[in-house]
Amino acid sequence: MSESSRLKFYCDENRCIGCDGCSVACAEAHELPSGVNRRKVVTLNEGIEGLEYSLSIACMHCTDAPCEEVCPVDCFYIREDGIVLHDKDICIGCAYCLYACPFGAPQFPQDGAFGTKGVMDKCTMCAGGPEETNSHTERELYGQNRISEGKVPVCAAMCSTKALLVGDSNEVSNIYRERVLSAGHGVKTQPYGWNVAYGSKK
Amino acid sequence: MANTWGYGAMTNSLGDIQNAKAIIIFGANPAVNHPVGFQHFLKAKERNNAKIIVVDPVFTKTAAKADYYCRLRPGTDIPFMYGMLHLIFKNGWHDKNFIKDRVYAMDEVMEEAKKWNPKKVEDVTGVPADKLIQITRLYAQSTPGTLIWAMGLTQHSIGSSNTRLAPILQLALGNMGEEGGGTNILRGHDNVQGATDMCCLSHTLPGYYGLSDGSWKYFASSWGVDYDWLKGRFHTKEWMNKKGFTLSRWWAGVLDGKNGNDKIHNGGTNLKNLIVMGNGITSIAQQAKVKEGLDNLDMLVLCDPFVNEAAILTDKQDDVFILPAATQFETSGSVTATNRAAQWRNKVIEPMYESKADQDIMFELAKRLGFYEQLTAGMKIKENKKDFQWPEDATDEIARIIKTIGLTGWTAKRLKKHSENWHMFDEISGRGYGEMKGEYYGLPWPCWTEKHSGSPILYNINRSVAEGGMGFRNRFGLEHDGVDLLAGKGSAPKGSANIDGYPEITKDNIEEVLGIKLTADEKRRIGKNWKVDTSNIIAEKCMQRGMAPYGNAKARAKVWTFPDPIPLHRESLHSARPDLVKEYPSYADKGNHYRVDTQYISKQTEKDWSKEFPINLITGRLVNLNGAGMENRASKYLAALSPEMFCNINPNLAGIHGIRDGSMMWIHSPEGTKIKVKAKYSYAVSEDRVWIPFHFAGHFQGEDLSHKYPNGTKPYAVGESANTVTNYGYDIVTQIPETKGGLCRIEFA
Amino acid sequence: MKSKYIFIALIALTSLAFGASDSAIWGKDLIANIAGYDKEGSLHLGKYFTLLQSTYFKPLFFGVLVGVPAAFFIHYAVIGPMIFSHDRKKIYVFTLFNRVVHAISAISFMLIIPTGLVMMFGSFFGGGSFVRLCTEIHAISTLLFIISIVPMFFMWVRWMFIHIDDIKWLMIVGGYLNKDKKPVPAGRFNAGQKTWFWLATLGGVLMISTGTAMYFQDFKLEIIASYGISQIDLLRASAITHNALGIGILALFLVHIYMSVFAIKGAIHSMITGFKEEEEVEILHSSFYKELKEKKEI
Repeated sequence: MSESSRLKFYCDENRCIGCDGCSVACAEAHELPSGVNRRKVVTLNEGIEGLEYSLSIACMHCTDAPCEEVCPVDCFYIREDGIVLHDKDICIGCAYCLYACPFGAPQFPQDGAFGTKGVMDKCTMCAGGPEETNSHTERELYGQNRISEGKVPVCAAMCSTKALLVGDSNEVSNIYRERVLSAGHGVKTQPYGWNVAYGSKK
Repeated sequence: MANTWGYGAMTNSLGDIQNAKAIIIFGANPAVNHPVGFQHFLKAKERNNAKIIVVDPVFTKTAAKADYYCRLRPGTDIPFMYGMLHLIFKNGWHDKNFIKDRVYAMDEVMEEAKKWNPKKVEDVTGVPADKLIQITRLYAQSTPGTLIWAMGLTQHSIGSSNTRLAPILQLALGNMGEEGGGTNILRGHDNVQGATDMCCLSHTLPGYYGLSDGSWKYFASSWGVDYDWLKGRFHTKEWMNKKGFTLSRWWAGVLDGKNGNDKIHNGGTNLKNLIVMGNGITSIAQQAKVKEGLDNLDMLVLCDPFVNEAAILTDKQDDVFILPAATQFETSGSVTATNRAAQWRNKVIEPMYESKADQDIMFELAKRLGFYEQLTAGMKIKENKKDFQWPEDATDEIARIIKTIGLTGWTAKRLKKHSENWHMFDEISGRGYGEMKGEYYGLPWPCWTEKHSGSPILYNINRSVAEGGMGFRNRFGLEHDGVDLLAGKGSAPKGSANIDGYPEITKDNIEEVLGIKLTADEKRRIGKNWKVDTSNIIAEKCMQRGMAPYGNAKARAKVWTFPDPIPLHRESLHSARPDLVKEYPSYADKGNHYRVDTQYISKQTEKDWSKEFPINLITGRLVNLNGAGMENRASKYLAALSPEMFCNINPNLAGIHGIRDGSMMWIHSPEGTKIKVKAKYSYAVSEDRVWIPFHFAGHFQGEDLSHKYPNGTKPYAVGESANTVTNYGYDIVTQIPETKGGLCRIEFA
Repeated sequence: MKSKYIFIALIALTSLAFGASDSAIWGKDLIANIAGYDKEGSLHLGKYFTLLQSTYFKPLFFGVLVGVPAAFFIHYAVIGPMIFSHDRKKIYVFTLFNRVVHAISAISFMLIIPTGLVMMFGSFFGGGSFVRLCTEIHAISTLLFIISIVPMFFMWVRWMFIHIDDIKWLMIVGGYLNKDKKPVPAGRFNAGQKTWFWLATLGGVLMISTGTAMYFQDFKLEIIASYGISQIDLLRASAITHNALGIGILALFLVHIYMSVFAIKGAIHSMITGFKEEEEVEILHSSFYKELKEKKEI
């Protein structure tokens, strides 16, 4: 499978307005317990002219996933399409994946006695887990499996301004490239079939 | 705005913003309030290299995406716009032909603008002179430019002047009736445009017909109801034509001028009962007064899917009724978007448990009060039926009756077809493909006939009237002070049989103005004028001749019936600049303003408010919460994003008062009320102001009222209401509260 | 050190109360941590941890686990154990207190080390509930470890400082590489014992603190933060230290077991009864023996 066919996320910081639509959509769709933030929106330099930016961060499904490399119980598996998933039944909650991850993607719901950590939870790119696809257990443990139904991960689907893009990395790059390159080239306001070739008089 | 050129609604559309080369935003925050619609702004930025200019007291999320940001002192939009006009006229950037043909009294505006040089504007608004020059040059020379505003511009005691000067600015630049131009007021809530069009207001009948006898008679016949019966519903005939109380001051009607409250003119009696459908009670300024009003009612009825927090605010224990209303998923009908276009909503499930849809609640009430027959008669007229079908017959009734804004084309059948085929329309222009060719999505009003395409861009003379073009409305007479108010020659819509300006069409002038002859039958059936023409002959003939039924006039920069014919700057009632209060005082007090004596100059000069309350109080929105907030604070994940009421405060200001990031603080208001909120350090606010979100309720002046929520209805997040500390102040024309221009004092808690 | 544990526990619990929005890992520092993962001027701990954990730790542990016993197996076969006579006097060297404390620490080690190894080689054990159980036992045994190691430090530290004898001892590897019974230069405790002591106590404290940091995970210690070290970097440093030190502790633990159970016949009895054979003291702790003789305690 060639490198470029992997599924990737990209958040366009020129479009992200920090509306948290993605993080709420994710929490809602997978019925996450409060305290688990699979996707988070961070705003940098708030209030400072020219420097304020927002970004949506979750697991980036790295090609060379360091989480997968360091897991002592080898609970990770990387799908052919690049999605990085893990098995919660094998996970021991040691948090090595969190130490290895540059993005802070692994989450640990603090639900045990004395604040003991539960097993790791993270963004699955809406691709569920090792349980049987679309079974009740899969939904309980990992949330919705939208990829198996051909649907877009719910965060990008809900993005207000289409800042968050997900999909085949080639396609995502193309979209972003087009946004950058089309600057200043104007918009087409007439669909085919109406009689004037270009906009209005000006 | 309606007083400037005829209609007071967004002139273009959200998609059309992608055509703009410059976007200037006054007192609006679309990145937070219209996150999905904001996509169009960002696309304009990407594709057109459009420059976004934000003029706002706070560095909002929209400002973060803007190219230029001007930090404005609250309530000084008029000086700022005059500053822009000063430079525009001085440098000759204005569109002289446009002004000559299509604008009246711009010369008086020019006179006023001469006074506002950049230095003066800097002193009054706080925006540096060179910044003003920079953005004005940019905006004036990047056409088409669109001007956006929202509550930041309207919620002031001079709001009605603000919303006239903004159109004047666009008229001066010739940005009206253009793709990518226009004045685009962003309506806030779902279907608020529809509610406005149906005039759920106390000063007019539906469709902006006003309260004159002529309007009442028209509606009586259109509704199939006896005019005398309608008249008999009022205390005496004279009350039929009087404006009622407004949402912002209904409570004054309860308090009846006692204990220092403003006197009322309500026929010698006060308001006793209140029925509320939807929210709104907790979103009004001076909550302590609202509470007093609620406490003194005989009966309070609240209809909403969620508990209206008015029930929590009031101390009233008896005769408070909470009726469960159904949500939008449990009923169907048309909704009108901010761009005047309608969509059809379908019912998904039956009303749950005991909840009832709004119309059923009203029907039940009407049955018990004895006027159900009259209420529903209008829906049966069109097809002479025995029973009506809701909502289709209601929609058709509206289309049959409301001519002022041209809703004739909004039959239920057409609207449903549009919503079913919404994929067949272009995102930017709204033009339809294939089966929907020849129509614009949602048939933006005015939609003059049942075949009309809709009018996506108002006042656009580059299109024929049949395709949505039109000039400005002839609403203010044919001439004023000897100056012709009709449009200049050559400024008629494309393909018009009459290329000159022409008056609004009436039975008497139709043959002459259109250059046609009516048949005897038509003469018999035709209505007195285009607004009451139930035969629709006027509109049909106008379409044939390429003319707009409402005339082709000049927009007027001078509204001679207003207290300030040309918009003038006046400081907010509670201003941080006492020196400017002397120079730009507020209006004289207005008696019987929607039945309540309302203070202006006496409140402003009661004392030097800025001594005791030196900090500007600014309210605004959070993206995850909506309006009065009850619905969203009851949603787990949305509430988790902002679980507590807070106040954005500049670290330097906080430091002076010993307030640490995350500690509690008091905000005191000139009303004598106070709220206890959490301080949040932010550089978005400067050192002379604080910002608070207005979505919270459930606390009152430091006291937690959560125990009052009925079992199981308490939302996840409760907090102080911003409106507990918003100040006294109401617009001179509309009585909208001055929530965007108040003062406060802060203190460590 | 016990108070430090309580101190950390209190901090951790109070910070937990603030929820994820004040999280030291997933809160405001999230972006800064991404930037600091492996950039110029950072501590590069993310990269190092990933590298060490993926490639080196397991083989090193395995090497020690197999190699050390293997080496000793050869030693036993070739050189054999030291045997001392039981007919002479018995010298009282370990008080009841010493022995109880040592017993508790022994139990705690017996719990901590195997469970730690199970965690390290989790994939061999198939992960899941068994390994999770070992994780919890590993953590809880720490409490046992603390109550033993603290007294142990104070009760023996005065004899554990470095002495010229220790250098000589190291040069001859304690005399274990030949079968002679020549007196070996050592005080009350020889260099080997001293090394094990320091590793177990100071190293033990380090194991406790790094392990606790990893256990409670999401907290903020102002002392660390003031040096500009992010919480995630603290955790990474803890993980690296814990594992690296663990290798050393495992190695010396195995040595200690071998020495006390196999290499010196009867040595374990001194930890049970408190008495050592006179000959054993004379040979293996010759300086101590001389000292006792001078003081006329024998």
